[in-house]
Amino acid sequence: MAHDERPFTISVADAELEFLQKKLALSRVPDELEGADWDYGVPLADVKRLLLRWQNGYDWRAAEAEINKIPQFTRQIEVEGFGKLDVHYVHQRSTVENAIPLLFIHGWPGHFLEVRKLLPLFTTASPDHPSFHVVALSLPGFGFSDAPTKRGFNGAKYAETCNKLMLALGYDEYVVQGGDWGSFIARILASKYGHQSVKAFHTNFPNVREPPSLWTHPRQFFAHLITPYSAAERVGLERTQWFVAQGRGYFHEQSTQPQTLGYALADSPVALLAWIYEKLVRWTDAYPWEDDEVLTWISVYWFSRSGPAASLRIYYETIAANEYSAILPTSTIPCGLSFFPKELTIPPKTWARTIGNVVYESRHQSGGHFAAHEKPEELAADIRAMFGKGGPAFGVVSGRAGYD
Amino acid sequence: MSDTEKAFQINVSDADIEFLHKKLELTRFPDELDEAGWNYGAPLADVRRLVARWKDGYDWRKVEAEINAIPQFTRDIDVDGFGTLNIHYIHQKSSVATAVPLLFVHGWPGHFLEVRKMLPILTAASPDHPSFHVVALSLPGYGFSEAPKKKGFRGLQYAEVANKLMLALGYNEYVVQGGDWGYYISKLIVAEYGTKTVKAWHTNMPVAGPPSVWTHPGQFLLFLVKPFTAAERAGFGHSQTFQKKGNGYFMEQSTQPQTVGYSLADSPAGLLAWIYEKLVRCTDSYAWEDDEVLTWISVYWFSRAGPAASVRIYYEVIQDDPGALRMAKYSPIPLGLSFFPKEPVVVPRLWARTLGNVVFEAEHERGGHFAAHERPEDLAGDLRKMFGKGGPAYGVVPGKDGYVGRDARL
Repeated sequence: MAHDERPFTISVADAELEFLQKKLALSRVPDELEGADWDYGVPLADVKRLLLRWQNGYDWRAAEAEINKIPQFTRQIEVEGFGKLDVHYVHQRSTVENAIPLLFIHGWPGHFLEVRKLLPLFTTASPDHPSFHVVALSLPGFGFSDAPTKRGFNGAKYAETCNKLMLALGYDEYVVQGGDWGSFIARILASKYGHQSVKAFHTNFPNVREPPSLWTHPRQFFAHLITPYSAAERVGLERTQWFVAQGRGYFHEQSTQPQTLGYALADSPVALLAWIYEKLVRWTDAYPWEDDEVLTWISVYWFSRSGPAASLRIYYETIAANEYSAILPTSTIPCGLSFFPKELTIPPKTWARTIGNVVYESRHQSGGHFAAHEKPEELAADIRAMFGKGGPAFGVVSGRAGYD
Repeated sequence: MSDTEKAFQINVSDADIEFLHKKLELTRFPDELDEAGWNYGAPLADVRRLVARWKDGYDWRKVEAEINAIPQFTRDIDVDGFGTLNIHYIHQKSSVATAVPLLFVHGWPGHFLEVRKMLPILTAASPDHPSFHVVALSLPGYGFSEAPKKKGFRGLQYAEVANKLMLALGYNEYVVQGGDWGYYISKLIVAEYGTKTVKAWHTNMPVAGPPSVWTHPGQFLLFLVKPFTAAERAGFGHSQTFQKKGNGYFMEQSTQPQTVGYSLADSPAGLLAWIYEKLVRCTDSYAWEDDEVLTWISVYWFSRAGPAASVRIYYEVIQDDPGALRMAKYSPIPLGLSFFPKEPVVVPRLWARTLGNVVFEAEHERGGHFAAHERPEDLAGDLRKMFGKGGPAYGVVPGKDGYVGRDARL
């Protein structure tokens, strides 16, 4: 069963660390308009401060050693049409033998480490809540996974990779949790493998930007007609509008000219830092980022196996394959939603319920796009409630209810 | 009146050239998908080749000396609310004393040198066509002009700089030509100063929405019944492709110019790719030479305010008014339009005619967005036709009709 699985530790070469330092020492930063603050993008003071710390004081080796305490592996996954990809993943099992296998899928600019704070919460045994065996992969093109070398690696291919990974680990049935691209891929997994290997999914990114249509979701359509928006929902719609009007420049560039943008992100640590840090701040809910925390996040991109440019291609490929706007056949497997107020798209509940067979919903008073990182206890509580005894998705995985 | 004009020569410091070389040496390239072609952006082979040439073989000093053969100057221009900006410009006079004063306004990712190939054509003296005194500024934040330091430097401010520059040069009355942001700024110059100082304008990138029944009833009725020509339909398709696939830079620059600015300031390869992609996509199979591209990019790399300053115009204009580019405030002063087939923003002729008092139109078989650089004879030829004897804008500038031997009232 464990064929092709190799334990993995991150071990960035000394030469890479030296090269990064050389580049940092040669950085050229732009000026800034007076009083710009965050209006025009990332403030210069933030970038200068982070740059200085990255050069002097930030200790990648220490961060690396900490990350390596998390059990990581790689294995070859054969993806149809793309050959074998070496996939990197975290695999932490609970002491509870019949813990629920859970696949955690990150997005962009996220990575496998977004699962970090959830790991102890998911794997700890208790009679009061279910436990999980957690698998968190680096999506192809991210972290320490290979990237595809051919065109056309779309959402369906990411889903195929994920499903094959879980099956290879012996998890014939499992549940999925994802935000950002993880949410998108979770929906494809549900659609393609729902009731077979995929038994339920949960997302903190209910990315629905239109009201239900009469033709595809008639029940929601009528519910929507008669249900007024709550105050919270109206605020959510405003946040969504802000994002669509002001916050999607990156999306347009990445989905049309990822290679053009990729040159700067590959070549300039400062460029990469600014490009991602902007999202870390704008997309979270006043999360108190520490400089070293940010630098570790960016370093995973800088030192990634395939380089930062590869991570952008998911935008291009999914749009090119028309997967983003096409209506997926909705699976009837149980689906759970968590709403965080500073998420990027916050649909009213009647819209969100078109995502799937929504059996669980939870609304929070704080938290943003990177919920697993910002609000691990809250997110873990939601998932425990969904899958625990008395919960709406209890026992979905045969023989693995999550308790001793 | 104090005259702050100084003769200007580009003189990039040795330290700056060395710094660029150090950075080029340390370039880290991304990989590329098999058979990516141009589908994902600027191809890796092109960028690698250009970076290698930039590092070894490309001779900036030689190029600099050639550019410096063009008469350049700087002078201080006061801008209401923004203090004094030192503005860089080309000023090439014709031998014809009564040549037509013409201001050329570039855009992004263009610069003052876009006028270069047209200079000898426009300033040449002949009984058969008019001559022009040509002024081509570096817009604030571009080339060797200073950039504003405060927020809110918008279209009217750029127009103010341009107009004040011409007046400071003694051109109380002049005509203006522009494409890209040069089009938008020309439109504002006309709106603010039309008939006072600006006597006519010309653009190779007219942007307009469909005629409204309220403001342009005649055009509106025509719009309802007149079918589009084949050229217009092709233009539509081309525009739509550009909107769908080529607009990412616009979305980013008009919302997060500082964020993308870090990329453009710090990575020569990043800056190269960002601009080179447009130089190729927005031209009509123009046969760019590597050194030609590298000179273009170097002007951005070595620019006085740095490349990040150049993209702020998108934010300032679009945040203030998302519909700014399509805005049309009719002016009676003569307007000339030149249509080039590979211009990414192609509008039907009827729509373009709502922009003003269109007295001249020309359709071309070849050429794209950077018309002055790609098709200098065509564009200069259009200006000669528009302003020449028998042309629809002949003699708009009193006493300066562009020909030798007329009685000139100065």
